[in-house]
Amino acid sequence: MTKMSVTINGKSYGPFDVRDELSMNDFLREYLGLTGTKFGCGLAQCLSCAVIVDSPDGTSQTSPTCVVPAINFAGKSIRTVEGHAQNGQLSVLQKAFVEHFSFQCGYCTPGFLNEGQVLLERLAKTPVARAELDTTIRDALNGHLCRCTGYVKYHEAMRDVILADPNRYLS
Amino acid sequence: MGISRRELVKLATASGIALSFSRAALAESLAFDTRETLPGNHNWNPAATGAGRIDGPAKVTGTKLYASDFRAADLPGWPSNTSHALLIRATDATHVFTGVDLSRLSGALKPSRVVTAADLTGAGIRVPAFFEGDLFCPTGKTPLYLGQPLVMLIFEQFDAFDQARLALRSSPCVTYGDETGPVAIAPYGSHRFVRIAGPMPEAPDVYSPVLAGWTVPRSFANGDIPVWAPPDLNGPADAQATYYGEQIRAELATVNPGLLVLDRDFETQSVDPMFLEPESGLGWYNAGAKTLELVLGMQSPYEAAEALAYMLGDTRTPFKPAHVKTLFAYMGGGFGGRDHSIMPLYIALAAMFFPDRPVRLAINRYEQFQSGIKRHAFKIHTRMGIDRATGKIRGFAADHVLDGGGLANYSNTVSTVGAIGALGIYEVPKVDIATTAVHSRGVTAGSMRGYGTLQSMTALEVLIDEAAAALSLDPIEFRRRNALNSGGRIVTGNTYIVAIRTPELLDKIENHTIWQQRAQERARGQQDGILVGTGVACATKNYGGGADCSQSAVEIDAQGRIAIHSDHVDMGNGIGTALANRVAAHLGGVADDVTVHDIDAYGPLGLVTSGNSYTMEQATQDAVAKNPRWVPAISAATFASNGAHVGTQAAAEAARVIFRFGLWPAALDLWGLTPSHPTAKQWEAARWKDGNLLMPGLAPLALPAIAAKAHARHDVTGAMAHAFSRWGWSRASFLIAGQTWSADIDALAVRKGGGPYACLDRSSVKFPPTANNRSGPVYTGACASLVRVEIARDTGFLRIAKAYSVLECGNALVPEIVVGQAQGGFAMGVGYALLESLPLYEDGPGNGKWNLGQYVVARATDLPLNGIEIEVLPPLQPSDPPKGMAEVAMIPIVPAILNAIYDAAGHRFQSLPVTQAMIKGVLS
Repeated sequence: MTKMSVTINGKSYGPFDVRDELSMNDFLREYLGLTGTKFGCGLAQCLSCAVIVDSPDGTSQTSPTCVVPAINFAGKSIRTVEGHAQNGQLSVLQKAFVEHFSFQCGYCTPGFLNEGQVLLERLAKTPVARAELDTTIRDALNGHLCRCTGYVKYHEAMRDVILADPNRYLS
Repeated sequence: MGISRRELVKLATASGIALSFSRAALAESLAFDTRETLPGNHNWNPAATGAGRIDGPAKVTGTKLYASDFRAADLPGWPSNTSHALLIRATDATHVFTGVDLSRLSGALKPSRVVTAADLTGAGIRVPAFFEGDLFCPTGKTPLYLGQPLVMLIFEQFDAFDQARLALRSSPCVTYGDETGPVAIAPYGSHRFVRIAGPMPEAPDVYSPVLAGWTVPRSFANGDIPVWAPPDLNGPADAQATYYGEQIRAELATVNPGLLVLDRDFETQSVDPMFLEPESGLGWYNAGAKTLELVLGMQSPYEAAEALAYMLGDTRTPFKPAHVKTLFAYMGGGFGGRDHSIMPLYIALAAMFFPDRPVRLAINRYEQFQSGIKRHAFKIHTRMGIDRATGKIRGFAADHVLDGGGLANYSNTVSTVGAIGALGIYEVPKVDIATTAVHSRGVTAGSMRGYGTLQSMTALEVLIDEAAAALSLDPIEFRRRNALNSGGRIVTGNTYIVAIRTPELLDKIENHTIWQQRAQERARGQQDGILVGTGVACATKNYGGGADCSQSAVEIDAQGRIAIHSDHVDMGNGIGTALANRVAAHLGGVADDVTVHDIDAYGPLGLVTSGNSYTMEQATQDAVAKNPRWVPAISAATFASNGAHVGTQAAAEAARVIFRFGLWPAALDLWGLTPSHPTAKQWEAARWKDGNLLMPGLAPLALPAIAAKAHARHDVTGAMAHAFSRWGWSRASFLIAGQTWSADIDALAVRKGGGPYACLDRSSVKFPPTANNRSGPVYTGACASLVRVEIARDTGFLRIAKAYSVLECGNALVPEIVVGQAQGGFAMGVGYALLESLPLYEDGPGNGKWNLGQYVVARATDLPLNGIEIEVLPPLQPSDPPKGMAEVAMIPIVPAILNAIYDAAGHRFQSLPVTQAMIKGVLS
């Protein structure tokens, strides 16, 4: 057992005594009731379970939670789908996913949102050329499986969010 | 099917069980349905302006929606702790199961309860007929199939459950004894469809299933080979079927220089629907109150409730609930795989055998592969004879054998639908198709997108292309020559009653640049050292299942806010938004509140049913129809692409009643027109625009004002309706406000102002004739596809460069969702053609070791995201009803890819999937 605390969507949780083999996915869903982060495969193949990990250096990456023990997130600051909207207002990306009809069953959507948000934040710091945009989006999102949509409208939504603010995201 | 809610309650009540599917007891936290009702908690309804799905905000904010999201603490009135159940399943179906060694689960890992087959027998648990087979394999028996549950372990605490499942994963605990070989069971079903057309297209058929009835074998030889009646032209119907069928086959076998005969075998693979949310559910048996409450995610909620009532209907105390309450959640995908799943039975058993403590049964992805419904392999043998001079198909004979896996589930009807669809878009005057669904020790197969036609039409469209090439005919022209036209008959001998738009689709693909540029693209490829090929295919798929039901309630409040309840299910298909849009056409506004999977909001209709709507005699139906509350079936699954056409029907008719008898009289009042004014009869001329009711020469009226007036006048402000279709809607008349109102429904209740619902007796009803049960589908929608592939010569790597699909679906209720379904169908088609495959038996998912990574589904990089073009034809008339399209959008992709591979590589593959290694093999 390991004692751990973690910050989720800006709120501190813990300390909890946690089994070393408990997955972060089960920690979120069973211990904390944060079921917005989904379970799809348990092998980090679908990434429905992905959350955002914010590093102290200001960078962020996504991480699967189904195969990563909860204790690996001890002391860290993460964001889940529940934390994207602020004061009842959807984020730009959430709104874009809705308006583009990007999802159907919606089960993969939290993972796509987290990945997409990380991409936006990365591009805001390190813009890419317009000619590289499609490849950049594809490379960022390709780890995420969707069985309903064929991915087209997810990519369209990402592209349109970026193209709506080219000064911010494109070089 | 075939048990009314009233009978269900009676049946259950006779055994001492009352059923309800109502909301959980209200508490401070939101009731289940309120939480689920969308947009519900959210301030934005994107569907109101066409800016998104009605469930959009909930899904992007991680709202608890899916069965897998809920725990006991989320349910008002439930104890707060969730216990967890684990099923141990057979990984061997050829040896006797002798026991489970749980000795390694000691101390804190010891399960609080172990449930075995003996426990079920002792409790008097019954197995519903649809799921016939041991729910748990008893010791001393060979498991019926790989993945069959053996025992259930229940753990009071999550940590114990989690550690136990990890321990058992690394060290299996099941022991087996003597080898017996697999259990042999008779085939799940077998049919033969024979049609001999008359001498002229308009002439009656000489023989068809519609005329003579459906043909089944007299017996089976060697376990699963159908033995048909001896051929006899003057004998009973099945003997005539054999006579004509053998005549067709003899003609195809006779050497005839004027007839090109192609004789081909085609095999398809076992696949998994791979919906992203593994199956799960919650159950709580309150032993004191004798109430069983369940949270489930099902495509077939009504049938799930029926099955549970039967399973528990004869149990002995203390396993006897007095009341079963089921709550249905959203699903993370379905594709048919959640239709008549067996999981709800095990969820209920977990609760019953662990009373007073809520139990969650949730399978992980290994277990989902091990136990979830599959679409198993087809073996298809086809002979097709084409007149060389005219290019017309003269005769078609096929034999289908499909592996139904361990339990019958839907394999019988998959085999019949696959056979009936085996002629695709074509009409052929002489047809003989025999189909058999067999039992095997594989994981249970059942419904999955395409329902057998994906397999049969893929084989067909590959054969069609080969025939065109052999006759040196353009493949689109060959299709055009043989396409069924309006009024033409399918293999069952009936016509479609909807528009046939195949010619338009063929014209579209013929004129598309992908097709027009195929030669120059091939030449370009040669220069670049790659093989470029273009493939075409066209498919048509029925929507509806022949006993489709729709129940809805629609209400408008005094502020003009609209609420809709529907018994249909949203698994991503967007039924909620479709309902809102279809109702908006009548009421002028998009619903603020849509509750789906709601099978128990229609009590005022007082519906009863009896018998089996698929098999009842006409005289029986005529007699029972005199009961104004009787309907052929009350509720049915969301399947067979029936969401748009069926799922929105009752809501649309309810909305029409509200408009005609609520909003319209209120509008007349606001305009200062009396009921005797000539305009009063012109309600059908009224139009809604931007929330205002428009009539020529009159001031626009805003919906809220009209709604307020309707409430003040105590006019109709709510309507509840039931609709039934047996390849045609029931139609009934009702007396409303002194007028006879006729509509394609068979039950109606209305409320006035804020008052209660009052059921209206129908003054007349015409149910679809029972003879329609002999018919094949009458509703169909078509899709044609072009695919361009590029293949690397040295590696066989295939890239899909471009694709175009054009489809027709009547009036698209939510165009963006239609396009999205087509895009998703494209991806699933790519996976089926090139990537997905499961071994059937011990090496396959029944061994519990399969997951993503081994099972490959299409990712974004497998698809030409910027090169997929979807076109949806506009309806022929603005008033056309919607057609189902979710399956047909996937089907032609698969053969189009295979035909493109042939065009590129010169090899016609006759099995699926076509992998890179296979392509490389033929290139070398």
